Amino acid sequence: MKSVDIDLNDSAYVRADRMRYEKNRLSSNLAILSIVLNGLFFISIYKSNAGTYYYNLLMGASIVYNMLFMLVVFLVSEGSKSYHITYSYIAIAVGILQFARIAVFPMRAHNAEVVVQDVSVKVMEDGQFFRVLVYLIGSGVCLLASAVIGIMRANTLSAHLRSLESR
Amino acid sequence: MATLSLQHLDKIYDNNVQAVYDFNMEVKDGEFIVLVGPSGCGKSTTLRMVAGLEDISKGKLLLDGKDITAAPPKDRDMAMVFQSYALYGHMTIYENMAFSLTLRKEDPNVIHKKVLAAAEILDLTSQLNKKPSQLSGGQRQRVAMGRSIVRNPKLFLFDEPLSNLDAKLRGSTRREILLLHKRLKATMLYVTHDQTEALTLADRIVCMSMGHVQQIGTPLELYDDPANVFVASFIGLPPMNFFDVQVAGDKLQHPRFCCILNEEQKHLLAGYNGKTITLGVRPEDIAEGGAVPVTVTTNENLGMNTLVHGHLGDSGAEGRITCKFRSWCDYKAGDVVKVCFNRMHFFDKETTNAIRKEGK
Repeated sequence: MKSVDIDLNDSAYVRADRMRYEKNRLSSNLAILSIVLNGLFFISIYKSNAGTYYYNLLMGASIVYNMLFMLVVFLVSEGSKSYHITYSYIAIAVGILQFARIAVFPMRAHNAEVVVQDVSVKVMEDGQFFRVLVYLIGSGVCLLASAVIGIMRANTLSAHLRSLESR
Repeated sequence: MATLSLQHLDKIYDNNVQAVYDFNMEVKDGEFIVLVGPSGCGKSTTLRMVAGLEDISKGKLLLDGKDITAAPPKDRDMAMVFQSYALYGHMTIYENMAFSLTLRKEDPNVIHKKVLAAAEILDLTSQLNKKPSQLSGGQRQRVAMGRSIVRNPKLFLFDEPLSNLDAKLRGSTRREILLLHKRLKATMLYVTHDQTEALTLADRIVCMSMGHVQQIGTPLELYDDPANVFVASFIGLPPMNFFDVQVAGDKLQHPRFCCILNEEQKHLLAGYNGKTITLGVRPEDIAEGGAVPVTVTTNENLGMNTLVHGHLGDSGAEGRITCKFRSWCDYKAGDVVKVCFNRMHFFDKETTNAIRKEGK
């Protein structure tokens, strides 16, 4: 990379130039925060008032998805650190899926009731439902924010590099 | 840019071992001072006292006239470059160079400007995105220097920065340090045990031994007019030859040779008539042709010079001699070469100090 004269008064230019050497920590950290929130969701979601009466196939699929989610978002975190725009698009897709998941597991469990010893029991109490909702929404928002910032910064950097090459 | 005053500095460790004795020196603004001496002579301890990494047992340290004897290292406005580079392996070169400024919470844009400027000086611009493990030893040392430059300190301290490099890289990095000093015009204190570094880099050299300052002077002064036998033997490669000789009027008597003194030398040694003194002769001041017989033991051709090792007359440690001839020689072991001494240094046998003219 060739050296350039930096005009300190042009703060936008300097900010863009810094990206050549500094990592996109904000996007990366937001993706990591998304993993943390999803982890909390993962821990909280399977607590059930109905004991083992609410076992179903969806539960296994949910566990596999959670693990895949953490792996993919970790890769997104590493990729967006280096301003790779593709990873930001993956983050958008996975972020949207986090919102879609609300309708699958927490919502279904919240609405479900099972009869245990002739007593009807709610599978998921309201408190637990709202808690996991916050985790999922938080995780999705973090991922989307990470993606938006990643795309903006990647575009700024590539425009800056193009301007340097044209000099 | 700064002046530094070291006043009667002593370093005594808790176990009562004294590492530095009464160190006195005034470092001028922009001066390049090299502390040189063998391992354990106290040069690094002195540097660490200046940096604040070692407590000063006695004495005063003034930076630009301000007493910093008890000031913590962070308040001394000095930057130190270590032998081991001390770079963070998980950070890029850019991050390593920016690290100290980031800790000080300086404006990121200002940090960027400073790092790029330092990288430009050290020719590291193309390496800024690499990790230290991807660089050569010389480049890593340049990064360590860059980390110091970005801080714009009053004083640069170097603790044997080239010791980890191979001979070729050491030469090129040494020249870079010299250019850096010329460019920055900063005050620098540099510790080394390598006399070549000392002679080529220094404005003034401080030669130390066993915690004592032996001589402070320009490289030429130390080479040409050493204060004592230690300095004479330490500065110069190969080292100076020493012989015990007796002053006999206008002659120097040795069991194997005799030297006629000129008027100036006679006057200089007037007080030593009949006494034994130490005669010092640099290998490069010995020439072929003369009256001193040298029995050759080994002949080392170095291209433009030849080092001839031998002894005067019978073999023995006392009479060992090394000559540096400016030609290609092919002497065999056992050959006898007649040599002469073009220049001689005289030292008092008891004090080991140089015998000099009055008032010098």
